[in-house]
Amino acid sequence: MTRTKLFKYGDWGIYILFIVIVLGLPLVMTDVFWLNRIAKYLVYGMLGIAIALSWGYAGILNLGQGLFFGLGAYMVAMSLKLQSYTSLQQGSDTPVPDFMLWNAEPGAPTELCCITSGSWLWLPFQAQWFGMVMAIVLPVILALVLSSAIFRLRVSGVYVAIITLALVLLVRLLIIDAQPITNGFNGLTDLGWLTIGGFEFDPYLVSTYYIVAVSICVVLLATRWLVSTRAGLILQSTRDDPNRSRYLGYDVAAYQVFFFTVSAGIAGFAGMLYVIAAEFASPSFLDITFSISMVVWAAVGGRSSLIGAAIGAILINTIEATASETEMFREAWKLIIGVIFVAVVLYMPRGLAGLARDAVGLFAQTRDSGKTRTARSGAPAE
Amino acid sequence: MSEILFIGLSLSSILLLIALGLSITYGAMGVINMAHGELVMIGAYTAVLSGIYLNLNLFFALPLAFVVSALVGLGLEKLVIRRLYGRIIDTLLATWGVAIILQQLIRLEFGLSFFGIHIEGLGPGLQNMDVPAFLTQPFEIAGIPIQPYRSFIIVVTLLLTLLTWFLMYRTSIGTQVRAIMRNPQIAAACGIDVRRVSAFTFAYGSGLAGIAGVLLAGFKTVMPDMGASTVVDGFLVVVVGGVGSLLGTVLASALLGQINGVFAILTNDILARAVVFGVVIAIILWRPRGLFAFKSR
Repeated sequence: MTRTKLFKYGDWGIYILFIVIVLGLPLVMTDVFWLNRIAKYLVYGMLGIAIALSWGYAGILNLGQGLFFGLGAYMVAMSLKLQSYTSLQQGSDTPVPDFMLWNAEPGAPTELCCITSGSWLWLPFQAQWFGMVMAIVLPVILALVLSSAIFRLRVSGVYVAIITLALVLLVRLLIIDAQPITNGFNGLTDLGWLTIGGFEFDPYLVSTYYIVAVSICVVLLATRWLVSTRAGLILQSTRDDPNRSRYLGYDVAAYQVFFFTVSAGIAGFAGMLYVIAAEFASPSFLDITFSISMVVWAAVGGRSSLIGAAIGAILINTIEATASETEMFREAWKLIIGVIFVAVVLYMPRGLAGLARDAVGLFAQTRDSGKTRTARSGAPAE
Repeated sequence: MSEILFIGLSLSSILLLIALGLSITYGAMGVINMAHGELVMIGAYTAVLSGIYLNLNLFFALPLAFVVSALVGLGLEKLVIRRLYGRIIDTLLATWGVAIILQQLIRLEFGLSFFGIHIEGLGPGLQNMDVPAFLTQPFEIAGIPIQPYRSFIIVVTLLLTLLTWFLMYRTSIGTQVRAIMRNPQIAAACGIDVRRVSAFTFAYGSGLAGIAGVLLAGFKTVMPDMGASTVVDGFLVVVVGGVGSLLGTVLASALLGQINGVFAILTNDILARAVVFGVVIAIILWRPRGLFAFKSR
């Protein structure tokens, strides 16, 4: 086996192992509480993939990925809120979210059309499919507009990070300010369950776990395929040297816009799945801390490896959940994660994926040198 | 009208106070220091602790906080940032980790809380710094009510800005810093000790953060994550003003502070901040190098 073949098989081996573990987990883990937790971390893993795609492959650091995640979450949460049992109990034939009643002007009719100013925006969300479609469409449209502006104007590097950072903060404030239609700081809680064909996806069901598990596997394989296409290769060339790619005749901005948008779409999809598993949406999804945490997960797992970033996200969050069982250790764990992060940036910039790759490389090297040694020592005997 | 301007001016001075240190570390050294807010926080805790244990008031806490934050900054430069020059995104990520570490150290009282030892003034709780009485009594000049503490902040900020200008443009070390800003390799070739000057510059910027912390402690509660929210505002000011331009930073903080003040009165605090972010995004899209960046190749 040659060195490159070894890398290739190793790569596919990791992918297959990952998919087998993710899909096979419910067979081993029967605790539904933990299964639900893992489902949430798989969603974070999907965010890791989205970050690796834009940061590792496109060289675009998006510090506002929480924006797309949050919008996706809110869109589907609006639909699920209207399916909630409490929304049907507000004294109207059609569902009305409970918090709207608390925010209503005195004398306003208890109807979705006009109970608070702007509440009519909720009308189409009475259909569950609308919320689910919008959870991907809205982030994609926003990302398309935003990235077109950014990349056509040839804004690059750290400035992209700053713009996305400012935008996520801006939208977070707008959501908090629009209390009558978003429930402000409190977010959307007390949601109904996702219902498909009469089947209710209770978040603590194994079938709900499988929605998330299958989704992350599909996203992982799809992005892996995407970066190996011609477009993916051109994208990587624009990351390494945008000017040279431009001189070679490629429309650099078009590739950047496309992959930025795909990454945003994945984040929106992740937001949707998170709401299905966690049953709430809140402005904290748009906190800077959350957006930067995603980048941290990807960096620890390996910023230029899709599966590495996913594993990094899942691993960090699982360890964190285990560590936070005791109050004291929770604070200490945060300290440790800070240290890990500094250490990863300083000493392991390619993350866990880089480490694995080095290990395979080392293995190949020792084996090869072992071979030459036996060949040499065997020579005189012949 | 004058009241609105004063509110804006007061907001501007706080922005400038935080941005001043950043404009030096980011502008001169190309380091995005996400731990800048934590250096602010350390300054605030220095004021609290020196009040409790040394009975020092605000005026003595200012130089003390400068020294403490500068020393922490110096350590940070030597241990982490020195290895990351030229990797701007990595400085952002590594200092984010440093920020978490510093916050947790205060929250866990440097780990002593594991052994059941509690230090008054540290820990996860809220702290307060006493402000001398004569700085809290509002008074009037020619019928205009004056908030003495806010005015004090404005005056200190002005003095620090002047001092920074003097250091950067009228001393030999300032010339060296500006040379490094333009081109570190050529500066080194001209005989400037880039490492030493960079360490000094970073320590000075960190010290300014410490002073900002003391002043913030006068009207904000002191807690471990108080700095985290300030650093982003500081960055936006520096980027809007133009990286490496002291004048740009001053004008940008004036602009953003006034916009914030005016919209806060027209609408509410939340929307006013949203407007500020909107303006920042528009300016960066329009002129990524900022409003007053020097021309460079």
